[in-house]
Amino acid sequence: MVVLLALLAAHGCRQRAGHEVVVYTSVDQVFAEPVFRAFEERSGIHVRAVFDTEETKSTGVVNRLIAEAGQPQADAFWSGDPVRPFLLIQRGLVVPYPSPEAAAIPAAFKAADGMWTGTAARARVLLVNRDRVAAGTEPRSIRDLADPRWKGRAAIANPLFGTTTMHVAALFASWGDADATAFLRALKANGVRIASSNGEVKRLVVAGEVSFGVTDTDDAHEAVAGGAHVEVVYPDADGAGTLVMPTSVVVLKGGPNPATAHALVDYLLSADAERRMAENGAHMPLRRDVPVPDGVRRVGDVRAMAVDYARVAAAMEAIQPALREWSGL
Amino acid sequence: MSGSRWQEPVITAVASAAILVVCFAPLAALAVDAASAASTANVSLWRLTQLFASTVVTAGAVTLVALGIGIPLGVLLARTDLPGRRAALILHAFPLFVPPFLLALGWFHLARADGALGSVLAAAALFGRAGLIAVLGLALTPAATALTMLGVDGIDPALEEAARTVARPAVVVRRILLPLARPALALAGLVVFALAFSEIGVPMFLRVRTYPAAVLARLGGIAYAPGEAFLLVLPLLGLALVLAIIERRFGGLRTLSALGVRTDRPRWPLGRWRWPVAIACWLVVAAGVAPFAAVAAEALASDRLGEAVTPAIPSVWNSLRVAAITATVVTAGGLVLARALVNRGRASRAVDALAALAFITPAAALGTGVTIVWNRPTTGFIYTAPMILVVGLAGRYAVLGIRPLAAVLSRTPPHIDDAARAAGASYLRRLGRIVVPMHRRAIVASWMLVAVFALRDLETVILFYPAGEEPLMVRIFTLEANGPPAVIATLALLQVGLTALTLAAGVALLGRRR
Repeated sequence: MVVLLALLAAHGCRQRAGHEVVVYTSVDQVFAEPVFRAFEERSGIHVRAVFDTEETKSTGVVNRLIAEAGQPQADAFWSGDPVRPFLLIQRGLVVPYPSPEAAAIPAAFKAADGMWTGTAARARVLLVNRDRVAAGTEPRSIRDLADPRWKGRAAIANPLFGTTTMHVAALFASWGDADATAFLRALKANGVRIASSNGEVKRLVVAGEVSFGVTDTDDAHEAVAGGAHVEVVYPDADGAGTLVMPTSVVVLKGGPNPATAHALVDYLLSADAERRMAENGAHMPLRRDVPVPDGVRRVGDVRAMAVDYARVAAAMEAIQPALREWSGL
Repeated sequence: MSGSRWQEPVITAVASAAILVVCFAPLAALAVDAASAASTANVSLWRLTQLFASTVVTAGAVTLVALGIGIPLGVLLARTDLPGRRAALILHAFPLFVPPFLLALGWFHLARADGALGSVLAAAALFGRAGLIAVLGLALTPAATALTMLGVDGIDPALEEAARTVARPAVVVRRILLPLARPALALAGLVVFALAFSEIGVPMFLRVRTYPAAVLARLGGIAYAPGEAFLLVLPLLGLALVLAIIERRFGGLRTLSALGVRTDRPRWPLGRWRWPVAIACWLVVAAGVAPFAAVAAEALASDRLGEAVTPAIPSVWNSLRVAAITATVVTAGGLVLARALVNRGRASRAVDALAALAFITPAAALGTGVTIVWNRPTTGFIYTAPMILVVGLAGRYAVLGIRPLAAVLSRTPPHIDDAARAAGASYLRRLGRIVVPMHRRAIVASWMLVAVFALRDLETVILFYPAGEEPLMVRIFTLEANGPPAVIATLALLQVGLTALTLAAGVALLGRRR
């Protein structure tokens, strides 16, 4: 019993290290972890991280942050998209931090008051299977998902989760409720496959189970790098533009290590972190001083959809009941 | 003597209170939230009912597969002269101690286009309900096999021998063995059904919508509402209660009465059927271990072993120490409560039922409740430390420390304890000098069982693991999203190795103390 109690005592209590930072992130662990390790090496600050699972990607840790609001455990949140942080901002869980590194980030991808700041970005693209779609006939617009020409041959991830939620919310904010609702109905009527994740969409396209699908640039890049016979199409390049989603960083109110949180945010917005995200995760740098590897476009080279991320966040909450009804829960 | 009379009631009360805290408090806290969420709940009852029904049917199909294979295999391994039955039993049982998610990963490597069984048909079949039933059925068959063996071994040999003098073996099995082993077979069905129904990792990996996965996904929905999630959990709690009642009706402790019994009964000769039956049995065994071979091949073919293993070392250490401490706590508490249960204390039966309910309840509900209960200023030092993993896992697996030990203690002649008590031995002295030495093999086995289940756990801890303290299974699951397949396979192999080492250490310990 004495040994047991000793074990419990040694194991049970966390002593605040002082030189550490706690970060929750919905950026893929395989990309985020090397960035945290690089920060640790540079700063000597130990990073303790919580990562999302694929199924609850981008919302699981947000919910945990809200659940823990009464007793905050995290210092910073590095979101896989620029919208989820607004869920925290609206609840008063974020404090502004105008990082000196934010000066190099374009104004469209940060809040003027420092509430949130964007960094390495992804875009929503069409991944097309070249064996199933002849050159010159490929889809060019998000609206092609509902085109009868592609009936039963397209895929999109469940819009209740991940970046697809933001994408659908951006359509509602941009097109209006009536048009976007009709589009969702048309997807069902057109037999669009609903995958559980963007990675699953990639798998369906690469395996030839569908002709094309909507996914994120990092998934698309992975398919290309893996030698799959696919093409990446940036949709609506001659129209409303492609949805660009910077990852974004916020500092959380009442976090246990505010000073080290600022240091981590500074690093996540730095050229070095963006370079690592571009090289390891095919993320598009927002800063102009970061070199672009093969197969990765600069944000400035893409016709970006004009979106107000705060409005998209509001739309995202408003459309939840409709999305759950649409997806069957 | 009078000075130590307080020991038994106080220690039993402390153990019971611990069960209330780790098993009941999270569910109660979630229920309180549910009351406030009821008016704002926005769920499609019809669709949820459909999903619930389809999940019940799926779990039922998994149970049929597991019983259909496990019962005949259990009888053959327990009673016949099947060649290599000991090795077959060890290999067949091993997958039960490994997270089913890893088996699904292995089947994926086998079925993919360049896999050993690769074809478009195989891949398509795997990613669907049929694939889910097959993978989970094979993963859980060892539970049916093992409980069938225990049930058959618990039958009075005289009955069996008398029957064999007048009837053929097949008739003896049908008319004598299986009816008498019915409590164990019923328990096998319930265990397999409960595990299949609450499984989250495999359906999420194979992209099949099931009710518990939908509850977890709801916790990941945009509007955080744990109370609403609990409303979704209520039907599962109802199902858990039904399962618990059925289990009590069919046997309760009696079901496990053969645990630890060594039998040296004569084996029935299979005669000319020996080799055909052996081939069939070994094919089943091969189907159970083939996914491990596929994962191992994927991992060993890669040159990324270092890249995978080095960053995972803290997770390995974390998994091992959490499993060891959980097993120690649960076994120690289980021993105390098992004694009280055997002595037929009414409160102890209620505590035992609570522990069983926490085991059957979907882990997502328990996990959310843990956050509500423990993330407070006064308990933050536990919530932010690996200790919270011990708390959550002890709540989920407490029943594994109580039931097997109670089954063993129930066979101890009461006069031994009575004599020691009459001689003035205190409760703690009787525990330390009589109960523990007499039942040390069962205690080690119970410790090993809890440790292995804690090692394989994913669904309980994923909702509240402390930052930077992820267990290995969580690391594998979160990396699975976009991680390199070779890295995932290497980590999976590491998890399998940890489980094998734990089991081997336990078996060695049991053998040495025999």
